[in-house]
Amino acid sequence: MNKIILSFILLLITVGVFGQAKIEYIEYDLKNGMHVILHEDHSAPVVTTAVMYHVGAKDENPERTGFAHFFEHLLFEGTENIARGEWFTIVTSNGGSNNANTTDDRTYYYEVFPSNSVELGLWMESERLMHPIINQIGVDTQNEVVKEEKRLRVDNSPYGKFLESIKLHMFKKHPYKGTTIGKMAHLDAATLEEFKAFNKKYYVPNNAVLVVAGDIDVPAVKKMVEDYFGPIPRGEDIVRSFPQEEPITEPMREKAYDANIQIPAILAAYRTPSFKDRDAYILSMISTYLSDGKTSKLYKKMVDDKKMALQVGAFDYSQEDYGTYIIYGLPQGETELDDLVIEIDEEIVKIQNELISERDFQKIQNKLENSFVNSNSSIQGVANSLARYYMLYGDISLINNEIDIYRSIKREEIQQVARKYLNPNQRLILEYLPETDQE
Amino acid sequence: MNIRLYTLSAFLYLSLCLNAQIDRTQQPKPGPAPEITLEKPVEFTLENGLKVLIVENHKLPRVSMNLAFDRTPILEGDKAGVSSILGAMLGNGTASITKDDFNEEIDFLGANLSFGFNGGFASCLTKYHERIIELLADATLNSLLTEEEFEKNKDLLLEGLKSQEKSVDAAAANVGSALSFGLSHPYGEIETEKSINNVTFDLVKTYYLNYFQPSQAYLVVLGDIDVASTKALVEKHFGPWQNTVSEKISIPKANANPVQLEINFVDMPNAVQSNISLTSNVELKMSDEDYHAVLIANKILGGGFNSYLNMNLREEHGYTYGARSSVAADKYITRFNAGTSVRNEVTDSAVVQTIKEIKRIQEYPVEEDALANAKAKYVGDFVLALERPSTVARYAINIKTNDLPENFYSEYLKKINAVTVADVQRVANKYFNAKNARFIVVGKGSDIIENLEKTGIPIKYFDKEANPVNKPEFKKPIPEGVTVKIIMDNYIDAIGGKKAVEDVKTVLTNVDVTIQGAPFKPTAVIKTMGPNKESMEMSVQGMGTIMKQVFNGKSGYTEQQGNKQDMPESEILKKQKQKGLFAETYLDPEELVLVSLISVNGVDAYKIQVDKDNGSFRYYNAETGLLIRTESAQEAQGQSITQLTDISDYKDIDGVLMPHTKVINAGPQIITFSASEIKINEGVSKKDFK
Repeated sequence: MNKIILSFILLLITVGVFGQAKIEYIEYDLKNGMHVILHEDHSAPVVTTAVMYHVGAKDENPERTGFAHFFEHLLFEGTENIARGEWFTIVTSNGGSNNANTTDDRTYYYEVFPSNSVELGLWMESERLMHPIINQIGVDTQNEVVKEEKRLRVDNSPYGKFLESIKLHMFKKHPYKGTTIGKMAHLDAATLEEFKAFNKKYYVPNNAVLVVAGDIDVPAVKKMVEDYFGPIPRGEDIVRSFPQEEPITEPMREKAYDANIQIPAILAAYRTPSFKDRDAYILSMISTYLSDGKTSKLYKKMVDDKKMALQVGAFDYSQEDYGTYIIYGLPQGETELDDLVIEIDEEIVKIQNELISERDFQKIQNKLENSFVNSNSSIQGVANSLARYYMLYGDISLINNEIDIYRSIKREEIQQVARKYLNPNQRLILEYLPETDQE
Repeated sequence: MNIRLYTLSAFLYLSLCLNAQIDRTQQPKPGPAPEITLEKPVEFTLENGLKVLIVENHKLPRVSMNLAFDRTPILEGDKAGVSSILGAMLGNGTASITKDDFNEEIDFLGANLSFGFNGGFASCLTKYHERIIELLADATLNSLLTEEEFEKNKDLLLEGLKSQEKSVDAAAANVGSALSFGLSHPYGEIETEKSINNVTFDLVKTYYLNYFQPSQAYLVVLGDIDVASTKALVEKHFGPWQNTVSEKISIPKANANPVQLEINFVDMPNAVQSNISLTSNVELKMSDEDYHAVLIANKILGGGFNSYLNMNLREEHGYTYGARSSVAADKYITRFNAGTSVRNEVTDSAVVQTIKEIKRIQEYPVEEDALANAKAKYVGDFVLALERPSTVARYAINIKTNDLPENFYSEYLKKINAVTVADVQRVANKYFNAKNARFIVVGKGSDIIENLEKTGIPIKYFDKEANPVNKPEFKKPIPEGVTVKIIMDNYIDAIGGKKAVEDVKTVLTNVDVTIQGAPFKPTAVIKTMGPNKESMEMSVQGMGTIMKQVFNGKSGYTEQQGNKQDMPESEILKKQKQKGLFAETYLDPEELVLVSLISVNGVDAYKIQVDKDNGSFRYYNAETGLLIRTESAQEAQGQSITQLTDISDYKDIDGVLMPHTKVINAGPQIITFSASEIKINEGVSKKDFK
């Protein structure tokens, strides 16, 4: 009884608290179909200009993988009004910083400037969309850079290929089976016309969302947005149809090798739904339960008490069309990889057979609340979240309401979801081994 | 009339719109600079000497606490690892709270709390901050240290070391600081399996006792709090913290920079990229006059995307994903560093280009634009950093720990803007020492060392723990199934097949001889007849024959300027072992040894040992099968000299590929034989060998 009252009081406190942290925003469409989101925050004289395009590695021709990520490089090469090599000079000479990143689902570009350069950021992003220069010099230069990035991040990096190995086995038809960085041979074989065609198809205002966030004057920025982005012509509508995966019904067991490691790893991967699905939120709670913090179930048992594992973790690698739930462990000392799987399975079976304790449930809620508060701590982070929730989740209000979804989840649902997705016949067991073990 | 007016106004409206249209060919100018306000934290010192800074920021309902020590660097010596183990043990229980209860409470509150040897950090939602500050203090003052946790964390550290064993970057970082500062300097020492195993539980407890002193610590509390109640909380929980007497520490001197530029190479056969960095020790404190100018000069050289180094190595040459340089100011000593990771094949080129860019900033005044851009970037970074509430606290701590004037940060932008073109060049010469420096290169020796040697920079070899080693033999794994016999047969096939080779009875070769450094260019006629007859007559235009050498199968002689000498017995024995014009037709594979697959002049080659006693080897191109080098030891004036003959320029002569160029390297001498004509089974008779 006391416990219930306590939880109720906690709930009241938290509700009050969240009124304070609410993110305000306005949104509208330009005539060419571009979606615009403005977020005003004057706590520091800083502004973020960001554009997210709904194009990622999954949109590529299977014979031309790596295109989406390649564009993240190519579209810094220059535009009709920004000379080649000038992009970064303009940004830094105005005291800004910028970057971009690509996933299987989308490509994201942003600049952060002192707030007196908001127009500059809009000009640059509109130039990138309106008339980028795509030529052979740029393609050749970035081809080498991308190869170095792959060597740095994948080939030379310990455990750098684990995700690639998992995706390869988890997806048979859907383009998630490939990597975001793609195959270098495909990039080598690509023609300039192919790059231009990709740009024409996906880099169109009706496939993009613009976010301007920070120390801004809303009416002035609205006019600038119209001035710079309004004249860009609308593109053809993009039709997406990706092949559906058959459910996994038989256990899979595979091996992968990495020359950069000495200690092997074992990974269990399960197919899960899109991050838009309520079940994805529940799976993320299960991750927190299993491996977030020193007293989480797997960490406490395998790393701390039994000293069987150097590291253990669980995370829902969640994407727009599917998710992959991954649990991994690195053995300590002489522990066999299979013994780690036995220990992991024991905890999953417990979740499936009995409700997790009230206290553990409250612990997860507290942790999620903490990370929710922290997720809105930088303007750039807020801009990214606004774009993501709008474009990929189809619900921008999640920026303030996502925590409510977690709050509404019941312990019974955790049990149901564990039963639905986390079964041995629905998974891949991947032994990730040092290359020297290869026969 | 009305209509006309209407048209006119429509026209006016249209032209107004046109006028209002922006000119996107022009880069927009920035508006007036935003106003910068630098808040000051509330500061006070407890009686025990703990310095406390409080920053109020109510944007989000959260609080963070940061405890940091400002100690003299400590040398751990042959027990390096003790501070890491202690750091990992801290924050797991206190004298009055068990480890499990402690961690459970932190987790339950959704908070974070972590420790290292240099301090602790905690963050939480505002509603739990009173309890978390209490736990942070308890863990600082009364940390629970048990033997069991000691053993566990020692094992983890050892395993962690193992997991980094093949990491090129980890090795590069260790070796870089160890060679620069010295293995017996706090900044240079390396944690090794041996040193970690030397650490005892007692030593860990001693470190906790000696080095956790409130008088050396700073505590920053930041976030959604009010000053008065936080001050009371801090006094209550950190007030009882006592100083214990600790011995005064002196820091050993760092290694001297090398007298000339050298490469310090560490071989890691698994590397697909080389980690290279040019480094030299320098003294630079934040309080130095030159500090701001060095920041700007470094920004221009390698402090960002459009710096000299990155524009050259990434954008111009595509060698790397990024190249950067740094000089972090330090109270004691620091180092200049210019580094990158590049693919194996371009390692030597990246070395050369790095030096070029450093020389450029030293020898040529920087362009006004580049200087203005670098300044703008610093100004922007300064403004952008204001978004993080922790910036205010960081500035305040820097002022205290680095002996800076109180107005250091309010004057910061003024000082940055005052840096001149001449300043940049001056500090580049003073602080970016590339003459008395070392290039730390960690990479795959078998792919890169040959080209690195061609840079002419002396190379020293080290292991991953920075101990000097002899030059290793860089070899690659020999593919499964490759044997001496296969290599020999491949060679015969490559030059034309067994039949064609057996049909060769005699060979006549006219060659042009180039002796490096010699003023004259001899020509020679070389005749051979199976199995082992050989003659060579060398002449120089205008001088006639200068040397003649003949072997008839049983005996031979050398005739030089009328002076005839019989061939020594040892030479005759050697020649008699020759059973044909092509060694591969008669050598017994059983007696030869396939030594390795190594890189010769940039191509992979199989190295085969022909004769163990006189150190002779043959090298075959792994791809084409052709013989590309022979090696033998020659006695000359009582010394053994390795003679390398590089063989190339194979051309088809009557169905057999014959090499047209041989370059003989014997000690300092280089002699090149280029064939102007080769004839098979033509122009040679027995009487040529008399």
